[in-house]
Amino acid sequence: MARRWFLGQCGLSLGGMALHSLEQPLGTGLHVRPRAKNVIFLFMAGGPSQLELFDYKPKLQQLHGQAVPESFLRGKRFAFMDSFFKGRLKLLGTTRRFARHGERGTWISELLPHTARIADKLTIVRTFATDVPNHVPAKLMLNTGSPRFGRPSMGAWVTYGIGSPSRDLPGFVVLQSGPRGPRGGSLNWASAFLPGRFQGVPFRASGDPILNLRNPRGIDSEAQRAAVDAIGALNRQRFDLTGDGEIATRIAAYEMAFRMQQSAPELIDMRGESDSTFALYGAERDRPSFATNCILARRLVERGVRFVQLYHTNWDHHGGPRENLTTDLERCCRETDRAAAALVVDLERRGLLEDTLVVWGGEFGRTPMGEPRESVGRNHHTESGALWLCGGGIRPGIDYGQTDELGFAPVAERVHVHDLHATLLHLLGIDHKRLTFPFQGRDFRLTDVHGRLLRGLLA
Amino acid sequence: MAGRRDSAALLADSRGKRDRVRRGRHKVDALESATGYGDWTMRALGTLMLLAAALSAQGAGADTPHWAFKKPRRPEVPRLGSTWVRNPIDAFVLARLDREGLRPAPPADRHTLLRRVHLDLTGLLPTPAEVEAFVRDTRPDAYERVVDSLLASPHYGERQARHWLDAARYADSNGYSVDSARSIWPYRDWVIRAYNEDLPFDRFTTEQMAGDLLPDATDATRTATGFHRNTMRNEEGGVDPEEFRIEAVKDRVSTVATVWLGLSLGCAQCHDHKYDPLLQADFYGLYAFLNNDDEPELLLGPPARRRALSDWQEREKQLKQRVQRAKKSADADVLGRAQAELRSHRQRRPRVDRTLVLAARAEPRVSHLHIKGDFTRKGRVVRPSTPAALHPLHSAAAVPTRLDLARWLVSPDNPLTSRVTVNRLWQRCFGRGLVATENDFGTRGERPTHPALLDWLATEFVANGWRRKPIHRLIVTSATYRQSSYQRIELVERDPTNRLLARQTRLRLDAEVIRDAALCAAGVLDPRIGGPGVFPPQADGVMQLGQMARSWKPSAGGNRFRRGLYTFFWRATPHPALRVFDAPSAVECCTRRRCSNTPLQALTLLNGPAFVELAQHLAKQLFSSGERDDARIDCGFARCVGRPPSLDERRVVHGLLDARPTADSPSRWLPVARVLLNLDEFITRE
Repeated sequence: MARRWFLGQCGLSLGGMALHSLEQPLGTGLHVRPRAKNVIFLFMAGGPSQLELFDYKPKLQQLHGQAVPESFLRGKRFAFMDSFFKGRLKLLGTTRRFARHGERGTWISELLPHTARIADKLTIVRTFATDVPNHVPAKLMLNTGSPRFGRPSMGAWVTYGIGSPSRDLPGFVVLQSGPRGPRGGSLNWASAFLPGRFQGVPFRASGDPILNLRNPRGIDSEAQRAAVDAIGALNRQRFDLTGDGEIATRIAAYEMAFRMQQSAPELIDMRGESDSTFALYGAERDRPSFATNCILARRLVERGVRFVQLYHTNWDHHGGPRENLTTDLERCCRETDRAAAALVVDLERRGLLEDTLVVWGGEFGRTPMGEPRESVGRNHHTESGALWLCGGGIRPGIDYGQTDELGFAPVAERVHVHDLHATLLHLLGIDHKRLTFPFQGRDFRLTDVHGRLLRGLLA
Repeated sequence: MAGRRDSAALLADSRGKRDRVRRGRHKVDALESATGYGDWTMRALGTLMLLAAALSAQGAGADTPHWAFKKPRRPEVPRLGSTWVRNPIDAFVLARLDREGLRPAPPADRHTLLRRVHLDLTGLLPTPAEVEAFVRDTRPDAYERVVDSLLASPHYGERQARHWLDAARYADSNGYSVDSARSIWPYRDWVIRAYNEDLPFDRFTTEQMAGDLLPDATDATRTATGFHRNTMRNEEGGVDPEEFRIEAVKDRVSTVATVWLGLSLGCAQCHDHKYDPLLQADFYGLYAFLNNDDEPELLLGPPARRRALSDWQEREKQLKQRVQRAKKSADADVLGRAQAELRSHRQRRPRVDRTLVLAARAEPRVSHLHIKGDFTRKGRVVRPSTPAALHPLHSAAAVPTRLDLARWLVSPDNPLTSRVTVNRLWQRCFGRGLVATENDFGTRGERPTHPALLDWLATEFVANGWRRKPIHRLIVTSATYRQSSYQRIELVERDPTNRLLARQTRLRLDAEVIRDAALCAAGVLDPRIGGPGVFPPQADGVMQLGQMARSWKPSAGGNRFRRGLYTFFWRATPHPALRVFDAPSAVECCTRRRCSNTPLQALTLLNGPAFVELAQHLAKQLFSSGERDDARIDCGFARCVGRPPSLDERRVVHGLLDARPTADSPSRWLPVARVLLNLDEFITRE
């Protein structure tokens, strides 16, 4: 009795899925008809400047160097506009050339030539808004729907909600590239109060993505299986006694580790990928990079991994050392543009794009005013940033949302983090209001008490 | 005054006034965003602003001041007349449980309790003999005797030092991309000694903050200033050294605020921008204390040894010049001889221990306020000062020094330091502090679950002369600490994170202690204390990942089996078994480790070379422990989890042994050893 009770409480029941178990095919027990099966989230950590990439503002060029017009400030609340700085910051026009791309003639700058080429496949959002203007809280906001830590990330919610078709790999995998990991580290892919096995599993940023995959010398697969079985049996006994959900997570982790030993060598062995694929992504063999991670993301999705998140640092172009809007921004674009576009193309030609939602974006946008440091950069901005979505039930080739003529704030179709989450869950077949988890006397959900489904984004 | 009113709102306890607080928070966010300087600087700045705003509002007599900014007053210990209560801690805990209508858990069994207290105090496992002796010891104070011997053990300092080293961001390399090695392990050893000697926390503080300025300064107190030298150093070509020096000084300000005041990390992002000019001055007031130092290396050891080193250096210089001359002469023989001599000279370098320290400059630097945090944009000149809104700074000098700042931190008038320190001690014993946000005692932090207990401990701590061992002893001998950690049905709903302490909490061991436990179980631990970092085996290919590929030659002999805290920590390429079990990155101050639970940890324990090797040693131990399988199984459980196996557990192990019948040998026991080292219970203190 007590045992069954604990099993239920601690999520050790078979599959442990909220909506359906592992054994059931995808699609049963979902709230709405799913349009996507997988998500690849390209997280541009640091906050890419929409004004250099997607949000073309001729008026901003015109007013370059001038103080911000009062009319843009009256009655509005901007993160950086406190009186302390008023009158000092000047509008900053971009030096980047923009051109129209795709059938609809959407504006994309010269920094993203490869992205521009697939404009017709992308839905570009220029009105992405969040609540908080500093990195860790804003990253948590985009990942968990709350700027405070202690909430599960979207990958955890999704795998908790609908499981993952992949039995041999974690349902939520995190890949990283760039000079350092994203600020906040594992908080970004935490499961928080959801059972621990729904947390993201970070593969190593460079070198072997997973260390210690090979059995020790003298231990064959059968012996390893026997060891994992014995560990599991003993852990289960301890679990029955202590009722600690962490043990349930550990049992699942050992099972997953064993299966990863079987499946991961094949996953990370890129020898089967053709030179033309490497060329398409701009990746080099045996050199870890965002591009390699994009190929790996595709391979993960092919193997049924539900949620893949790629972090690339550092997009925090304030104008300080290694963070300028010239060479440093160019480098970030060079490191990601070709591969992100190639990922879309590659998924499409393999027939995976219709089931895979690809999202590109960072935790916030950047200000229309310049920020004078060593060079002039831009500061964090919560009211308008750019992201793009593609595949997986997204209506392709549209622009969603519009900002005012200086790019301060949305004038139409604001896309708040909560709205993005509601829409993402909807595409996966989940009603964001119904995917909940009881914790400390309250039902929590990814969108808290917010979130609107953005029907205009749906195909 | 509008400003006054706003700060009062900030100050007000957040309950019922959340909207106002939120407004304040937005403003901090705004400032941080606007200046965009490193998150940490702004966080520190923000919290100091919060603090000052709060305290100035206090002066204005507005709402009740935030609890943490009022000096703790010694509360009455509740009188309950319960036999469960062993010491005042229990009275406070039980009073709360009574209010909630909950009962404490039964005490943990003796096996569990012994393993728990060993791991918490020394980070080592009790030996099977120690377990046996304790279980049989029927004296009423048997447990207290164990506690006293553990507090007196030299390994106590090792375990406790590691917590402090997290906060000090200790590592053995310089960080950033070049990440070359540094020698600062004498500082680590100083911390170990300080814990072992129970150096009072006020003295512990002043030596680290200003050991070079003490009237009775010694090499040991100078070594202690290494606390501030654990900042990273950028050796990339083309960087402005002044920029990174200033960045390090700002990191020191932020670390001081986090470590002593519990105020700088986390999400404490409330402030009132109307106070900006004043509060920025406060931040740079602290900065001005820490901006007046040279950052030399201190040579340690007897003078003769140091002299030998300087002679050696002189000779090296000469030999280098000779090589240069020989190169010009173009005589291959002469050059070859000169080079050979230089090579052999370099192998004879006298070993002198060295460590990084602070040394106050004779002429203090002129410190400026940095406009928007940008060091290239100097504002007005600032003098060393503590936040005006906090308790006053006393200084005999015309210009206050780091020593004055140190004394200010541990002044009895400081409302924060004693609470913050006992709270962290509590956190180690229960997995969460009485204030759960151990680095945020500001208005955005969580309120204490047991405010009176926190204040009682804080005042007890100071009354005991800032000694930590007596407080540690009080905690671990309390009935609260001795409870069973088993989950209870009625608590799952009511108190899933165990805030009310109606039970103990199972805690996964820290990365280093997982290694220590495996070393103990395998019977190979080299118990030597201190010395330069060591190199236990690790997976191939880790060291090639840094910008500068370096080799990792595994240590031989005893050094291969030293405790986890001695593992050489390269910031750019840390030992993967440390990071996978959530050891901090040593990039910034860490006051609480996260605790993940992943398949990668399973792979580390199952397949990682260091653990495989230890499993082999454990297998030998099991094999040689007796003739019969059952005796060996008993030995395995005793060594690893400090208790006998249940019948079911024994059956599982027999099943494993029988799966592949092989000749009786140590290798027959390897599967059993691996399983034991991989048990959840093995890496958990229950």
